Amino acid sequence: MEVLEGFAAAPSFEIPNSSDFDGFQKDAIQMVKPAKGTTTLAFIFKEGVMVAADSRASMGGYISSQSVKKIIEINPYMLGTMAGGAADCQFWHRNLGVKCRRHELANKRRISVAGASKLLANILYSYRGMGLSVGTMIAGWDETGPGLYYVDSEGGRLKGTRFSVGSGSPYAYGVLDNGYRYDLSVEEAAELARRAIYHATFRDGASGGVASVYYVGPNGWKKLSGDDVGELHYNYYPVTPSTVDQEMAEVTVA
Amino acid sequence: MSIFEYNGSAVVAMVGKNCFAIASDRRLGVQLQTIATDFQKIYRIHDKLFLGLSGLGTDAQTLYQRLVYQHKLYQLREERDMKPETFASLVSARLYEKRFGPYFCQPVIAGLSDEDKPFICTMDSIGAKELAKDFVVSGTASESLYGACEAMFKPDMEPEELFETISQALLSSVDRDCLSGWGGHVYVVTPTEVKERILKGRMD
Amino acid sequence: MGLFLNSPPLSLSRFCLLTLLFFVVFLSPSGKLVQIEHALTAVGSGQTSLGIKAANGVVIATEKKLPSILVDETSVQKIQSLTPNIGVVYSGMGPDFRVLVRKSRKQAEQYHRLYKEPIPVTQLVRETAAVMQEFTQSGGVRPFGVSLLVAGFDDNGPQLYQVDPSGSYFSWKASAMGKNVSNAKTFLEKRYTDDMELDDAVHTAILTLKEGFEGQISGKNIEIGIIGTDKKFRVLTPAEIDDYLAEVE
Repeated sequence: MEVLEGFAAAPSFEIPNSSDFDGFQKDAIQMVKPAKGTTTLAFIFKEGVMVAADSRASMGGYISSQSVKKIIEINPYMLGTMAGGAADCQFWHRNLGVKCRRHELANKRRISVAGASKLLANILYSYRGMGLSVGTMIAGWDETGPGLYYVDSEGGRLKGTRFSVGSGSPYAYGVLDNGYRYDLSVEEAAELARRAIYHATFRDGASGGVASVYYVGPNGWKKLSGDDVGELHYNYYPVTPSTVDQEMAEVTVA
Repeated sequence: MSIFEYNGSAVVAMVGKNCFAIASDRRLGVQLQTIATDFQKIYRIHDKLFLGLSGLGTDAQTLYQRLVYQHKLYQLREERDMKPETFASLVSARLYEKRFGPYFCQPVIAGLSDEDKPFICTMDSIGAKELAKDFVVSGTASESLYGACEAMFKPDMEPEELFETISQALLSSVDRDCLSGWGGHVYVVTPTEVKERILKGRMD
Repeated sequence: MGLFLNSPPLSLSRFCLLTLLFFVVFLSPSGKLVQIEHALTAVGSGQTSLGIKAANGVVIATEKKLPSILVDETSVQKIQSLTPNIGVVYSGMGPDFRVLVRKSRKQAEQYHRLYKEPIPVTQLVRETAAVMQEFTQSGGVRPFGVSLLVAGFDDNGPQLYQVDPSGSYFSWKASAMGKNVSNAKTFLEKRYTDDMELDDAVHTAILTLKEGFEGQISGKNIEIGIIGTDKKFRVLTPAEIDDYLAEVE
């Protein structure tokens, strides 16, 4: 033992004092991960697919951005929506875009929405349990017509005609389910999507900013609108000046 | 999540020339869910004394009721309104009484003294007073409010400019906070009048 | 109840030995509380005290007759301060006075602790009077055998209050109590003016005491307390009193 004295001990990193190190690491990552709260939605109707989202990114209670692009343009015929971790969504959607393009080059035809969403789902499944946070919808138009899939980082992949994802989704569903018809016109569908996003931003503290609406038809996607929710509210509900009704008002003591 | 952030709130008070202003947001939520957008967070104790309570809504209302009750008894006993400093001491005493089971509130007290000298102060939930000459803030948007007030505040503002300043500070601060906002409520108090205004704000 | 394993239960006879002792306060057929009458008698036979409210302050004064010349007069303080800006003097029973002073000081401190502001004179008088009233109505106690003169100066200016054993209190421009009350009051009525300054009031107080004083008045056998616009209540030293006495003569 005496021999060792005077020599420096082997360098080491301090390990956080935690009985559940993996859990700690997950929590730590979660803390610096923005874009937790979100409202995104998409639905299929007669003319194609309508896709809409808010634009807020938050870290805890703090709003880190009001101008996030949560609808990712994978290729001219396909859109992805973003909920959960911003980095995870951005990276894997871009990765998906690459894979779709390579499919196109190899097969001389565009990938189907089903195929694209499955590529993503398989990747996410392979990372399952490692802390990825993705809740996405893949919407597009392929040889079979409009397509819509929900894919998440737990490995789930669902085909459907109406989805909403994110912390504001319950509110969006409320409006969407109430106003949805298959034979909606493009204008009506766009208004329904916008309104659903607006109502979600009103009720959900983690959603807000701009309500963007995209439409995917036979000729690819097109951005229809991007309205500041701050103004949208007063368009939907113009303010009539009124006096404050004071609860628990008192009698003035002379 | 902290119990102080359960409902969400933003309260700020500023001193002007022979006047003061106190403002709050109007949201009451349950975590991220917005329940009401007309929630009162500023309470009038008397014409020249206002109390803003941020934090847990239910505790704010209970604390307010206790304080009003005690102030009314004081008025009857002493046949006068309470001075802002005196009221602050009362609030502090009542909060410290509950040292080991506090009201989850951070009060802001703003008033004009008998000589119409403005007084503002804030406290933590167990009654540690913090007096300020310029502005005080509290609530979930307090960090943003500090920044906004630090940048926008000027000493000795007239009531009109003070209203403009406190309103802009409040609105820009709550726009960076998920849990507060949805409109604002402002009181500007001068020796002769109390002006109360509701602010339009972003509703997201 | 549980089982007793080792020790036997307390015998009932032990409790029977205890006798409940209490006083009951009755109103006499004439409607008077006799105990208060007794207390007022105690006040009426006590040494004379008086107080005058001047334009810029208050003076309270009292005789300090000691039972024997062997008593060290410096050890007797009949005028006490309750807060820095409130003083009090009594006529009647000294020990009862001490109890009241202690209660009043505690009340004043509690007020200060709550509001970080000195207690207003009216509030302290009211609290003290409430204590005195309570002792006219509670079982097992008797009323205080003292009347108080409370002198104070606060935001409402100089103030003089008299509090009686019944718990009633009044604000006075000038008042007296004790053995010589009627003569002293008559004297004060003649001498009192609204625009009186504190120094004049001290002179008047001395003259009033002198009127009914048996023997030679001096700085050692009277006490004077004053409070002026500085809002600091102060008991004059015998030397200061002697100076005033010299001015009066």
